[in-house]
Amino acid sequence: MTAAVTLPSAPPRRTPTVRQTLRAYRAMGRAAFRSLVAYQTSFLFGLLATTLAAVAMLYLWRSVLAAGRVNGFDWPAMKAYLLVAFVAGSLVSSYVDYRMAGRIQQGDVAMDLVRPVDYQRSRLAEALGFGGYELGTGLVVAAAAAALFGGVPAPAHRSLGAFAVSAVLVLPLRFGIVYISALVVFWTRNYVGVQSARIALITLFSGSLVPLSFFPGWLQGLAAALPFAGMASTPALLYIGRLTGADAWRDVGVQAAWTVGLWWLGRAMWRGASRQLTVHGG
Amino acid sequence: MARIEADDLRKVFRSPDKRPGLAGSLRHLVERRYSEKVAVDGISLRVDEGEAVAYVGPNGAGKSTTIKLLTGILVPTSGEVRVNGIVPHRNRVENARGIGVVFGQRTSLWWDLAVRDSLELLRDMHGLSTAEYWANLDRLVEMLGIGDLLSSTARRLSLGQRMRADLAAALLHDPPIVYLDEPTIGLDIEVKDRLRAFLRQIVAEGTTLVLTTHDLGEIEDVCSRLVIIDHGRIVHDGGLRQVIETYARERVMHVDLAARPVSLAGIATRLAGATVIEERDGLGVAVTFDPLAHTAGDVLTAIQAELQVVDLRIKEPAIEDVVRRVYAGQLIPGPDDSPDDSPDDSPVR
Repeated sequence: MTAAVTLPSAPPRRTPTVRQTLRAYRAMGRAAFRSLVAYQTSFLFGLLATTLAAVAMLYLWRSVLAAGRVNGFDWPAMKAYLLVAFVAGSLVSSYVDYRMAGRIQQGDVAMDLVRPVDYQRSRLAEALGFGGYELGTGLVVAAAAAALFGGVPAPAHRSLGAFAVSAVLVLPLRFGIVYISALVVFWTRNYVGVQSARIALITLFSGSLVPLSFFPGWLQGLAAALPFAGMASTPALLYIGRLTGADAWRDVGVQAAWTVGLWWLGRAMWRGASRQLTVHGG
Repeated sequence: MARIEADDLRKVFRSPDKRPGLAGSLRHLVERRYSEKVAVDGISLRVDEGEAVAYVGPNGAGKSTTIKLLTGILVPTSGEVRVNGIVPHRNRVENARGIGVVFGQRTSLWWDLAVRDSLELLRDMHGLSTAEYWANLDRLVEMLGIGDLLSSTARRLSLGQRMRADLAAALLHDPPIVYLDEPTIGLDIEVKDRLRAFLRQIVAEGTTLVLTTHDLGEIEDVCSRLVIIDHGRIVHDGGLRQVIETYARERVMHVDLAARPVSLAGIATRLAGATVIEERDGLGVAVTFDPLAHTAGDVLTAIQAELQVVDLRIKEPAIEDVVRRVYAGQLIPGPDDSPDDSPDDSPVR
């Protein structure tokens, strides 16, 4: 056959404009938000578990700090620290990786690969969509807990700018870690262990249970170099005004560097992972 | 114009070789062993614009793997592939704009969204204008009869409904190439008929179609070319008629008789190479013959010389017979099984 004519059903492939591309990712984010609303019950149960843990932490720290200031933290500052860490920790919940890992394990990722959108950006768009819901519920719970424990101080004026930047970076940074750990499923075929390891690392090194300044010196050094501090400790310390001036911007810089670094690491891993893909059956 | 060009495509899967039990798993940690499975073993294929190709073979022959290589889902171990002039696994996103894919066993719909919402998401992903979207959607809704499914959540759909919704999702952006992997698995007759009519229409309009199926009716209805694959290699590639004539040339003449014959030996002697079998309790005869050796007229003359014929029917071979022979392992790939091979050279046992 030598028909070189373009048939009516073969429109020239168009490269979408930036605006069209953004529209696609926005639509995916909205769809993610809506599907989380559809699974509200299971999501809220997960939230209940983390809320109970957070309330337990608050009671624990209240009794620890009843005698007075420890390691520079008084009770109001600690309350605020823990609640900021709680809200930060509620973003990019296990939902994103649970979904992604499940699709990889079951081979449904094949369907994601025949869509005309970038895989990683699509997952980020979904994480942002989920994030809208997670942030809303996280803030409600935090506000209720704050009321229960007699209120929290407002964010410190001195580091407000740095706090704002840091807060915005929390979601993409957490996404980087969660995305990379879900990609590990391409090799392990099993996600349970990977997810527990990720959660344990984040819980310990993000300072969401115990501020990093309570760690021994060498461990503090390690935690400062790892990406996890930016997921809770940095924004929480900025909120209560423990990080100021040059130190504040240095830590936000580390947080931003990790955010960008993990994004590109995720890209590199994806290239390897997609070569690893085996889809059995249909 | 070639829409799909594959050259010596190979895909080898490596899977860990674990011995059973915990001890086996532990041992695997220390001493990693893998076994290799060749799923696609040197496939070369060229599909032109507007062609409808049936890609057929037994389970595990490598059909789905080939489709996944052509769609860019899998990266080939070696070999070249170009679809719409693009290397699919290197330009996945660009490739996805020019193809529509349905995997019968999976859905491309968003499970928790209404079908309409899924289609709107795809509209945004493909950057369709509102006008294009409505024009295509109206047409698909009419052809696939999915008007009342649009507001249902995907997970509430029955298999047949889901499949039609999935087809709409795959065709919404009017792709020049459509891959359908077992699209009618588990569907009832009415839905199947509707789908076939639909597929005939899009092919007539110039869409290039690659269809894998176990349903032989579908092949005869929709496709003009048949590619048979077994053990990861193409064992035959040719026009549907030509395949039938090569592999299922035998015709059967069934004859009803006025009275029971004394002997059928006479007919057999007149027709060298034909087999003659008694039917209908002696009141009928079935003669299986090769039309290149004897014409139907010869066969009838031979029968009439011996017996009194009341009625007759000639059964043409169906594609089913060819494929059944492949499934039974009766077609064996030749030493050189390039698709350009004259089919007569391919060994038939």
